[in-house]
Amino acid sequence: MQDDYSSLWGYRLKWLYTLLVVFTLMAPVFYVMYISFNENGFGARDYVFTLDWYVVIFSDLLLLESFLNTLVLATITVVVVVPMGLVAAKHYKITRYPLAVVSLMLSPLFVPADILGSALLVFFKNLNKTFTLLGESFSVNWFDNWFDLGYFSAIVGLIIYTLPYVFVVILITMARYKDQQTEAARSCGATAWQAFWHVEFPQIRAGIFSACSFTIILTFNEYTRTSLLKGGYDTFTSVLVSQMLNEGMSEQSYAMSAMVSYIAIAIIGSIILLTLVRSERLEQVARAKADPMGAT
Amino acid sequence: MPEKNDIAVEVKGLSKNYGDVRALKSIDLQIGAGEYFVLLGPSGGGKTTLLRLIGGFIRPTAGEIFLHSAEVSHLPPNGRPTSMVFQSFALFPHMNVQTNVGYGLRLRNMPKVEIRERVDAMLEMVGLTGYGERMPHELSGGQQQRVQLARSLVLEVKILLLDEPLAALDAKLRKEMCIELKRIQEKVGITFIHVTHNQEEAMTVADDLAIISGGKLLERGKARDLYENPIHRFTAEFIGENNVFDGHVTAVDGEGHVMVDLGYTNLTVHGRDQMPGVGDKVSISVRSELVQLVDGNAMAAQGQEILSGTHRETVYLGLTTSELVRLPNGQELLVRQLSDGSGGNGIKVDEAVQISWRTVDGRLHVS
Repeated sequence: MQDDYSSLWGYRLKWLYTLLVVFTLMAPVFYVMYISFNENGFGARDYVFTLDWYVVIFSDLLLLESFLNTLVLATITVVVVVPMGLVAAKHYKITRYPLAVVSLMLSPLFVPADILGSALLVFFKNLNKTFTLLGESFSVNWFDNWFDLGYFSAIVGLIIYTLPYVFVVILITMARYKDQQTEAARSCGATAWQAFWHVEFPQIRAGIFSACSFTIILTFNEYTRTSLLKGGYDTFTSVLVSQMLNEGMSEQSYAMSAMVSYIAIAIIGSIILLTLVRSERLEQVARAKADPMGAT
Repeated sequence: MPEKNDIAVEVKGLSKNYGDVRALKSIDLQIGAGEYFVLLGPSGGGKTTLLRLIGGFIRPTAGEIFLHSAEVSHLPPNGRPTSMVFQSFALFPHMNVQTNVGYGLRLRNMPKVEIRERVDAMLEMVGLTGYGERMPHELSGGQQQRVQLARSLVLEVKILLLDEPLAALDAKLRKEMCIELKRIQEKVGITFIHVTHNQEEAMTVADDLAIISGGKLLERGKARDLYENPIHRFTAEFIGENNVFDGHVTAVDGEGHVMVDLGYTNLTVHGRDQMPGVGDKVSISVRSELVQLVDGNAMAAQGQEILSGTHRETVYLGLTTSELVRLPNGQELLVRQLSDGSGGNGIKVDEAVQISWRTVDGRLHVS
């Protein structure tokens, strides 16, 4: 907050500091972007601008497949986790024990990724063993391999990982929503679903979309849980990391990483922009309320 | 148009608990069809809980609710012949006035042309013709409340519930809206149930009103009856500006007069069909406009009650002037008189004064 007596230079310095921190944090990403346009790749003495590596991406089947696998994981996670987060946020607003709800919902954040990942790995392996033994006791093999590592186990890990973020993002948007509007809709004859869809959803839409975007970004960022629970090296981050560890990163890997960064920055930038536009609109509403047109 | 003798709302043994808190304690109530009924009481008394139970927004802990003879306790709000007007306007901010008012009709899959016609007619009734395209934030508080009213009335429900509908408006607008509400109710003829803590608002609109406090329905009747002849001490304190004296009964005569000892003096009051026993704790109330300041040496005449005290303060309120008098037990008593334009009565602070009222103006309260 800037007051009339504070120094303008102090204000500018704070901005400069913020930009410096952001730039420092983003510098490696910018460097990856820079390399992705170099025809000679990483570490070369000469820099020759090219878009070829972006074209080559589409011929690297391993990278493309891993990207698609992660996209499938992200899509399924979004479909499951966003409604879960929404239901939890709605429950938070009516519960008599909000602190308990928040604590439970945020608890996965406090478990380190490798511990949660390995715990789930053991859990699924034991579950598999138990079901196999159950099948054996009936002399059938119907229950074998239900919980083999794969999409299902990876998605469970991703849901546990992303749910706290989704919950918080939706909750922040829902804080502005007045429940009396739902009651007003019910009073007009709407069912609970109609009241949600016609009245509440349009007002919390920004939060829902932000939660979807955030989940996709988190899924693309995630390595530990996904690699432990999916098995194999066929997701975006696991392929990139494996390539880097075994052969060093290929030039198209830089291009792919840069492309994912563009998408992430575009999504986050849009969310910030939308939030700013929305908050400006809300301020306009507040100003209009203070001075309504033709008020009597 | 409902028949006047129909019962619009009947609740039997209605209770609502929130954990250990008993918000409503076994209420029995009947409201006639086409009545403008007001639930009046202090904040937290249970009147909004009762309204929300009738509207189906909360489930009763015990008891039954009948709306036009149909038992509805198990039905959600959209299954009841009611609609609600909320205190906080509760307009849908992403819809304009036209869409807000027509929302319920759209849910009924009514043709667009018909919705438009009915919405326009309703906006005309509430005095908002030409405001259909405006967004809620472009309206004043009074206009928003009219839109809410139109949104409910356009549904042609049998019972309209109003939860402190004027509480967010300024005093002048509230008075105007009171008259407007009454006019609209008389025009549409449906049952209005209006919750408020404001007695002036209640008395302006009510055909009939009930006092609710502490989760109980204390008293119901016409506004005039409750103002002039409250049965309960609480009603006397809540409605109008009453002076209340507590004491115990020393004698009861054959004509229904009850003698009450206040500790520093004795008063007589008519029992009004209440016959307390000697020694019972009772209260006497007398409206401030029926009390007069009299000559300091005046003696109590037949049919007059008289008390001595000291003058504390004169408060000029424009139409009326209030005199504050302290009684020997420290209680302060209010005397309200029409301002006469003489610039005051010249009584100084701490000057000994006497106050009096006619014995028939006192009301006895045994509870």
